Amino acid sequence: MLTLTFPTLMTERLVLRGPEASDFAAVACFFADETRSSGFGGPLDRTEAWRWFASMIGHWALHGYGFWMADSKDGQTVGMVGIWYPEGWPEPELGWVMFENGEGSGYSFEAAEAIRMHAYKTLGFKTLSSNIFPGNIRSVALAERLGAVHERDYENVTHGTEMVYRHPAPVEMLP
Amino acid sequence: MTATTIPTLKTDRLILRAPTQADFAPFAEFYASERSHFVGGPLSAELSWRMLAMEVGHWSLTGYGRWIVEEAETGAAVGLVGLFNPHGWPEPEIGWDLFTGFEGKGYATEAALAARAYAYDILGWDTAISLVKDGNDASAAVALRMGAKADGDYTHERHGHMFIYRHPAASELADGGMEAYA
Repeated sequence: MLTLTFPTLMTERLVLRGPEASDFAAVACFFADETRSSGFGGPLDRTEAWRWFASMIGHWALHGYGFWMADSKDGQTVGMVGIWYPEGWPEPELGWVMFENGEGSGYSFEAAEAIRMHAYKTLGFKTLSSNIFPGNIRSVALAERLGAVHERDYENVTHGTEMVYRHPAPVEMLP
Repeated sequence: MTATTIPTLKTDRLILRAPTQADFAPFAEFYASERSHFVGGPLSAELSWRMLAMEVGHWSLTGYGRWIVEEAETGAAVGLVGLFNPHGWPEPEIGWDLFTGFEGKGYATEAALAARAYAYDILGWDTAISLVKDGNDASAAVALRMGAKADGDYTHERHGHMFIYRHPAASELADGGMEAYA
């Protein structure tokens, strides 16, 4: 018997929790929006979005970590943030995406910072990177705000050329 | 929140259990092979991994899914069998994929009977189908062996044309089904 569990992380303004079936509508809506989802493997129709969402949940079972759903304190689901390491990826990646209702509030930064700390302190990660499409200025700004630096470019197995931003190592961050 | 639990089932020769990362190698090998062309393959390693992850997440989204079938005696993963109903599927299906080298032992039938008994007895399903692609005679034979009957066809936008086999209803299987065919 396997019971899938997800740790819940709290930040000042967010609850980061495991994905649930009731999140599918928001996920499908995100993937239907080409502008918003094109840097995230989209756009996807509902059938493909369902399979993506199922694989996002299964990622937790196969690796022991994955993407959290981010809820604001008023109970709105505002985005997905977590650690992503599907087959073909060069290493586990700290990634973030905000839904339309989560933009411009600094939520990505808040969630990514908490998850990076969880990865270092609880999961024992020694390093983390974030892969960003050239031209995604907002993501670059966020990575830099998190203290990450542009290390190199690489060919992603599904997405094409991406920039690798390297986060500060645990030793630089933990007391 | 509701936790997702993937139960373990046991039959005479098999253990049906949750997929793990250790199953990726045989799973990817099967999906890289021509044998997978009846079930949506061949797939790259990257897509195979996402498919394996999807199989686990299927449990969270629907409350049921497919198990990795393990040979009890050796511990080898021999296939993926269970209940499948992703978004866009015509109705809940009992499906079976056997990995390379484990055909011809009756494992698909044995595991699928356990999955059907679980669907009827535990989940309370009244009916179930199995979809078989044109030319997949081995799979059609499993459906017939389980007492399923041809019930029209269905064309999936990506998987193409498939025959529908309708399993005996729960009420037709007096004791839930498994022992009736064992």
